[in-house]
Amino acid sequence: MINLFWQKLAIFRRAEFLSARDLLQRALGISGLFLLAHLAGLREFTSVLNGTIGSVAAGWKLSGFLALIYILLYLAFVILVPVLVLAAMILAVWRRCVQKAENSRITSDANS
Amino acid sequence: MKSRMAGILAGLAALVVAAAIWLPCLHLVFTRPLSDFRQNQGLSPKARQLAARHLQLWTEPARREQELKKMRASNAEWDFMGRSYLVWSLANMALRDPASKPLYLRTMDQIIDETLRLEKQEGMYFFLMSYAKDRHYLAQPAHSLFLDGEIALMLASRRAIEGKPEYKPLLTERVNAIVERLQKSPRMLLESYPDECWMFDHCVALDAIKMADYLDGSDHSALIRGWIAMAKQKLVHHDSGLLVSSFTTDGTPLAGPEGSSIWMVAHSLQLLDEDFARDQYQRARKELGAITLGFGYAHEWPESWKGEANIDSGPIIPGFEISAGSSGMAFIGASTFNDDKFLTSLAATLDFAGFPSRTRGRLKYCASNQVGDAALLYAATLGPLWQKVKTGAKP
Repeated sequence: MINLFWQKLAIFRRAEFLSARDLLQRALGISGLFLLAHLAGLREFTSVLNGTIGSVAAGWKLSGFLALIYILLYLAFVILVPVLVLAAMILAVWRRCVQKAENSRITSDANS
Repeated sequence: MKSRMAGILAGLAALVVAAAIWLPCLHLVFTRPLSDFRQNQGLSPKARQLAARHLQLWTEPARREQELKKMRASNAEWDFMGRSYLVWSLANMALRDPASKPLYLRTMDQIIDETLRLEKQEGMYFFLMSYAKDRHYLAQPAHSLFLDGEIALMLASRRAIEGKPEYKPLLTERVNAIVERLQKSPRMLLESYPDECWMFDHCVALDAIKMADYLDGSDHSALIRGWIAMAKQKLVHHDSGLLVSSFTTDGTPLAGPEGSSIWMVAHSLQLLDEDFARDQYQRARKELGAITLGFGYAHEWPESWKGEANIDSGPIIPGFEISAGSSGMAFIGASTFNDDKFLTSLAATLDFAGFPSRTRGRLKYCASNQVGDAALLYAATLGPLWQKVKTGAKP
C-alpha cells in the first residue's frame, strides 16, 4: 500500500537518465543525504580544515573522514543541487517549446 | 536509441548552461552588507554574536577546557593567541560599546590573570610548540618574545581602557625587559623559539612598547624608529618588497614573506609607521589577495617564494592555492586599511566555507577554532584602540 503511494508520486518514479525528472531526483537525493549529515552533527568535524581535531575522542582519522563526508555533501548541496534544479527547469522549458513548435507544425500541416 | 542519445545530450547541455548561470551567482547567496561584519561605530551583528560565544567560553570552564584541549592537540600557541586576540578585541569593544565595558573589563582581567598564572606555574614552554625544548635559546636566561610581546600588549590594552594599578608594574617590567634585550642584541632581534625570531612577534612587542609610552609617559620612539629602519633594510624580501616572517638572531631569513604573518604585521605597523604599514598592506593585497567569482581569499606565499604548508598556513587548497591561515588573517589587514571590497568578499567566503553555526545568538565557525574566531572578532572590532593611542586621548 505504502509502496503504491510512493510509486504514484511522479518524482519517485524511475526516470530516464539526464531527463528533467532524473535531475530533480538526484537533487532531492543529495539534499536528503546532506540533511542527514547535518542533523548528525558532522559540521563540527570541519575544524580539521584548519588543523584542529574535530573531536579528541574520535581521533584524527575518524574526524578527518567525517569532515570529508560532510564537506563533499555540503559542496554538492550548495553547488550541484541548484545546478541540477536549474538544468531540470531548462529541460522542461525546452521540451515545452519543442512540443509547442511540433503542435503548431502539425496544425499547420493539417490546415494545408 | 537516437532519441535517447538526443535526450542525454540535451541533459548535458542543460547542465552546462545551468552551471554557467549558477556559479557566477553563488557568491550572492553568501554576500552580506559590510556592516554585517564591521561597523565604523558600535558593534556589528557578527561581532556581537562571535563575542557572545567567547564570553560564554570564559564563564563556562568545562566548555572552555574542551575547546582548548582540541586546539592544544595541534598547537599550544593557539591557546595563548586565542587569549591575546580576545583581550585585544574586548579592549576595542569596550570603546565601541561603553555600556558593556564592565563585562568586557572583567573578562579581560580574568583572561590576563589566568594567563599570567599559567605562565608562572607551568613555565613559558606551556604556551609554546614542543620543538622549543629541542635546543637552547642563544640569549640566556631564555625568553620568548612571542609570549612577552603579546602579554605586554594585553596588559597595555586593558590599561588603555581603564587604569588598573596592579597591572602597571607588570607592564613596565615586561616592556623594560624587552627594551633592554633589544638594546643588548647586536641586530635588535629577539628569539621566540631557539634562534628563531618572528616579524609578527617583534611588531606586536613594539606596539606594546608604544602603548606603554602612551600610558606611562616614557619615550621609546627612537628605538622603534631604529628597529623599523633596520627591518626595511635587512628583513624585506627583495622580489615582493614584503617583510619576511622569520629569521635567525643574526638576521638570516628562515621563511620568506607569509600571509599568515604579513596581514597582522601590517596591522601592527599601523601604530608605529602608518606609511610603511600601508605599503606592506598594499603589497600583500597585490601579491597574496585574490577574489574569484565574488569569493575573497589569500595565498600564503607570493609567486616569487615557494614554501611548504605548515601549522601557520593551514592546509593549502590546490588549484587556487588558498591558505586557511592567510585568508583568516587577511580579515585583519583588510579591516585595518578599510579595503571594503576585499573584506566583503572575504566575509562571503567565510559564510560559504567557514561553516557558521549559530546557537541562541552565539556564533562560531566550525571550520575555524577558538583562536581563528577570536582573530575574526578582532578584525570585526579593531580600530578604536589604535586611534585612541595615536590621538593621545587619555584612558
